[in-house]
Amino acid sequence: MTKRSTTDAAGSLPDWAGQDDLTTYGVNTWCPGCGNFGILNAAKAAVRSLEEDGIDRERIVMAAGIGQHAKIFDYFGLSGVYSLHGRAVATAQGMKLANPDLSVIVFVGDGDAMGEGLAHLLFAAKRNADITVVMHDNGVYALTTGQRSPLSPEGYKGPSTPHGNTERPLNPLVLTLEAGATFVARGYSGDIEGLAGLIADGVRHKGFAFIDVLQPCVTFNNRYDEYNELTKPMDAEPLPFDDALALARVRETLPTGIFYRTERDSAEELLTRGRNPVRDSACRADRLAAVRKLLGS
Amino acid sequence: MNRDVFTYLIGGKAGEGVKKAGSVAANLFAGMGRSAFQYDDYQSLIRGGHNFSVVSTATHDVDSHYGKAELIVALDARSYAKHRNSLAPGGVLVCDADSVPDGRGAGTSNVDPDGPGTVVTVPVRAEAKDLPFPELRVGVAGAAALCAVTGRTDADLEELIRAEYPRDLENNVSYGRAIYDAVLAATDTRFQLERGDRVLPILAGNDCIALGAVASGLDVYAAYPMTPSSSLLHYLAKHDEELGVTVVHPESEIAVANIAVGAAAMGARAMVGSSGGGFALMEETLSFAGMAEVPLLCMLSARSGPSTGVPTYTEQADLRFALNQGHGEFARVVASPGSFADAYRVTAELMDIAWRFQTVGIVLTEKHLSECSATVELDVDGAPWPEPSLALGDGYRRYADTDDGVSPMLFPPSAELIKWNSYEHDEYGVTTEEGEAITLMHDKRNRKLAAIKEHVEGLTTVVWHGDPDAPLIFTYGSTTMSVLEAVRAGGLNAAVVQMIYLEPFPLWELEGLRGSRPVVVEQSSTGQFETLLREKAGIEALASIRRYDGRPFEPLELARELEKVLS
Repeated sequence: MTKRSTTDAAGSLPDWAGQDDLTTYGVNTWCPGCGNFGILNAAKAAVRSLEEDGIDRERIVMAAGIGQHAKIFDYFGLSGVYSLHGRAVATAQGMKLANPDLSVIVFVGDGDAMGEGLAHLLFAAKRNADITVVMHDNGVYALTTGQRSPLSPEGYKGPSTPHGNTERPLNPLVLTLEAGATFVARGYSGDIEGLAGLIADGVRHKGFAFIDVLQPCVTFNNRYDEYNELTKPMDAEPLPFDDALALARVRETLPTGIFYRTERDSAEELLTRGRNPVRDSACRADRLAAVRKLLGS
Repeated sequence: MNRDVFTYLIGGKAGEGVKKAGSVAANLFAGMGRSAFQYDDYQSLIRGGHNFSVVSTATHDVDSHYGKAELIVALDARSYAKHRNSLAPGGVLVCDADSVPDGRGAGTSNVDPDGPGTVVTVPVRAEAKDLPFPELRVGVAGAAALCAVTGRTDADLEELIRAEYPRDLENNVSYGRAIYDAVLAATDTRFQLERGDRVLPILAGNDCIALGAVASGLDVYAAYPMTPSSSLLHYLAKHDEELGVTVVHPESEIAVANIAVGAAAMGARAMVGSSGGGFALMEETLSFAGMAEVPLLCMLSARSGPSTGVPTYTEQADLRFALNQGHGEFARVVASPGSFADAYRVTAELMDIAWRFQTVGIVLTEKHLSECSATVELDVDGAPWPEPSLALGDGYRRYADTDDGVSPMLFPPSAELIKWNSYEHDEYGVTTEEGEAITLMHDKRNRKLAAIKEHVEGLTTVVWHGDPDAPLIFTYGSTTMSVLEAVRAGGLNAAVVQMIYLEPFPLWELEGLRGSRPVVVEQSSTGQFETLLREKAGIEALASIRRYDGRPFEPLELARELEKVLS
């Protein structure tokens, strides 16, 4: 009864594979033309490029929140955890903490990570958790039929705000920069090659990498024309912190690339002090000895 | 005098080291090979207010503190007023001379006209006031008074201060000596405490839970501070290197639970702990663990509720909450330790169960066990070691349909695809909305219930204390300690039936009791445990004894109440 791959084009593909070795048999239900396709393709390209660097795909795991973005979990041929709405950034930090040898890519939505999960996102940046957050930024709650998101502009009309959104949007780049992210970038789902480079760079970066990916929602918030016109790879990157912050505030153009990058000890390095909790987990005899020692017997 | 149980009470303001003074006494008794039980009563504040610590000790087991104390040390007027009526007949109340309301000067001693013992006034604060940090000295007065009335020498006192109050040692010693001399001069009462036959370590309930988790494989502990669970976080954080545990305190309980799920999905034995409000925040994620079949060990330490409630006081009002954690249908296992030794063993058993059956295990306890300390004897080797079902070979399916519903686990890095999913899913872990697949997964998860029950049948789920033909008293959790001490102190003819496992409910142990009419003792205003017994086992209470003022039962008072209903 389990759905199995119907692909017989490549006999070497595993049972779960769909069109290629990084795609599952999961039936894709994104709308035709959805920006999510670009993000999935960029993520697959990033994994292939990381493999060329010797970062084996077995060591790359993913987490996803809940929303249209998160369906990437079902389609992408990586191991991981399909988390809850807003919680994927927290789940991913647990994954990284348990086994710091893994690289963790977290796919989140803008409603997911900037609404329900904002605290997790800011604190992950604050503590420099060594995870790569790819935020599918479509400015809308698409899976639940088009309500305004924390990034929707004032006046946005959706089923929960028929008279127009009465709130101002958050600025994800400014927030994550201020919170202490050590890698902050903007990508565009229509620029797959550029986005693949950003995701790969985010994974290579030690520490918290945040990539705000502009992603048109063809059904509820179609901004292809606007993004095609306003996005443009940055001339120079990364920038000094204050310049990155100033550029993040600009709304008239939408430069893509790495706004800011710096080096700082990661949360996991500081918390585990070099131990790998899974790999270095003590055996029973050592644990009982440690307990006895604390008991003074 | 040679008393069976000796009780010491010290009261003062928060920030004066009252709890420390209690633990100094407990350590002293433990060092004599005696058993000791320490209860700390404190308020939710940092400075001022009123704190007190009670330590009861005997040469036999003692499972509770007592309400009447042979020695009371009142560091301030409030402690004097509040505790003067707690003096046992023939006892000694040592109070600060300047704090006594009737203005009796230092050094006087007389039989309290209103009480059964002797009141001794000594210059607790006057002797301290010229020393640096005088408010941190007054706790030493407790040690001095204790040494004086238990016939310890001044050299014993100095040794004790050296071990317990090493900061600014010389001043502590001279201060302690002054108080010791003043007490000696003011009263002839001496309590000769016999040595016991086994020197045991002193641990808090939360320490035992920590050690049980470590013994059964704990790798990652995540928690957000909330009384009375915080001391578990503190203990593991303090001992993280020696115990090999990674401890994390993130932004919220929601983060806590999700970090634990993420860690467990990567193969780390993870645990979370909180009290009611924080646990409520984790509930969404416990359901996630149920659906994704992630092993997750939880500690829920109840305090007086609902809501913020009374943070530093005890209650058993979270029983139904624990049993019903998480939306949707999935296996949860709930057990409640009734002793310090139980706390160690039950925590380890639930870690084993969580990993064996890939679901949520909840150690349900209360402030009274979490934060009381006692001399404890742990069966260190008795902790089970989880050996979860692990996958071999290729063609891995995270949610493979198996006979007992347990799908073998596998952790990255692996050439296999491993997908843990909060959505309903197929055997590979890919999201599904197909009716057939939904039914299959429900049935698979439900089969674990039978497997869990079979496993739990092999554990100590219900403990009978005493003659099974005697009248029955049902209880559970930390109240077990109060009931056992009450039965002992009151010399009652009763069998105490202590339930440890509450889900799955161990009906198999209660066969033949349907229709029995026990007394049910619990710390819940609505009788959650009593109604559970009725629903699950058809056991109707003959009488209920409930306390819900945040304080644990006092053994002699409880004995009198039990006597009334048992006769």
